[in-house]
Amino acid sequence: MIVVNTDTVAGYRIQEVKGLVQGNTVRAKHAGRDIMAGFKNFVGGELKGYTELLTESRREALQRMLGQAQQLGANGVVNVRFTTSSVTSGAAELYAYGTAVVLVPAGTPVPQHQMAQASPQQQYPPQQYPQQ
Amino acid sequence: MISTVISLGVPVFFILVLGLFVGRTIEVRHFRSLAIRESQLQGILITQSKEYIEPTSQVAPTMFTSEAVIATDPLKNFLSSWRNFFGGEMRSYVKLIERARREALLRLVEQARGMGYNAICNLRMQTADIGGNLGKRGMPMGAIMASATGYHSALAGK
Repeated sequence: MIVVNTDTVAGYRIQEVKGLVQGNTVRAKHAGRDIMAGFKNFVGGELKGYTELLTESRREALQRMLGQAQQLGANGVVNVRFTTSSVTSGAAELYAYGTAVVLVPAGTPVPQHQMAQASPQQQYPPQQYPQQ
Repeated sequence: MISTVISLGVPVFFILVLGLFVGRTIEVRHFRSLAIRESQLQGILITQSKEYIEPTSQVAPTMFTSEAVIATDPLKNFLSSWRNFFGGEMRSYVKLIERARREALLRLVEQARGMGYNAICNLRMQTADIGGNLGKRGMPMGAIMASATGYHSALAGK
C-alpha cells in the first residue's frame, strides 16, 4: 500500500479513484501516566507518555483508514490528512482521512480487464528501503 | 500573618527556583541537542510544497508522521501569567512550542533518512490539544504532530 500526503505519487499514475477513506480514534493513557505528566510539568522536558499516546492514536487511526482502503480494493491512499480535537483533558482524538486510489506505474498502459486485479503489493510501512 | 505568608511563600518560591534551575537546564540541553542533530541532518531537501519539486527516481514515496509533546515548568507558567496580565509576547511559551516543532521535524527527517529518502515534501504541522486547554482546567504543554511525504530525489547529492 502506497500512502502519501501529496496529491500524486511520483512515478505512478492514478488509474482509478475509489473515494474517501477515514479512520478515527479517541485514546487515553492510564491515570498513572497523567499524574506523572503533572509531575513532569514541575521540571519541564518531554512528556514521553503523551508523545506515545499520540503515536498510538495516529497509528490506530491510520490502520482503520487503511483497512477501509483495502476493502475498497485500492492499492494506495493519497492526500492523507490528520486532525485532532480536544474531547477531554488527557485524551487525544485523532482522525485520519485520505482518498483511496488504484495506482499503476507511470507509462504502463493497463488493459481494462486487468484493472480489477490490481492488488495491494506494497506493505505499509515498507519493511526495508525499496529496491529499484 | 507573617507565618502564613512564609508558609505559603516558601513552597511557591521553591517551585519557582526549581523551574528556574531544572527547567532552564533541561531547555538549554534540549536546544543544544536539537542544534547538534540538525547539523547532522544537512543535505536533505525539506519543502512544504504540495508536489515533488525535484525530478524523482523510481523509488515509491512514503508518508511519515512524528509527534513531540514538551512540558512547561512553573517558571514559564509564572512568567506567562504576568504577560497575560500586562499583555505582550509570551517568550517562554514561544520557546516551548519552538522546541516541540523542531523536535517533531527532526524525528520526521530522521525516519525518512533512515529509510533512504533524500527529500521531503508537503510538510504539515499541527497542534494537538492533549492537555485540554480549551476547557477550564487545562494543563499547558506543547504538542505538535507533523506529517510529510518522503521521496527519492534524482538531483539531490549531485
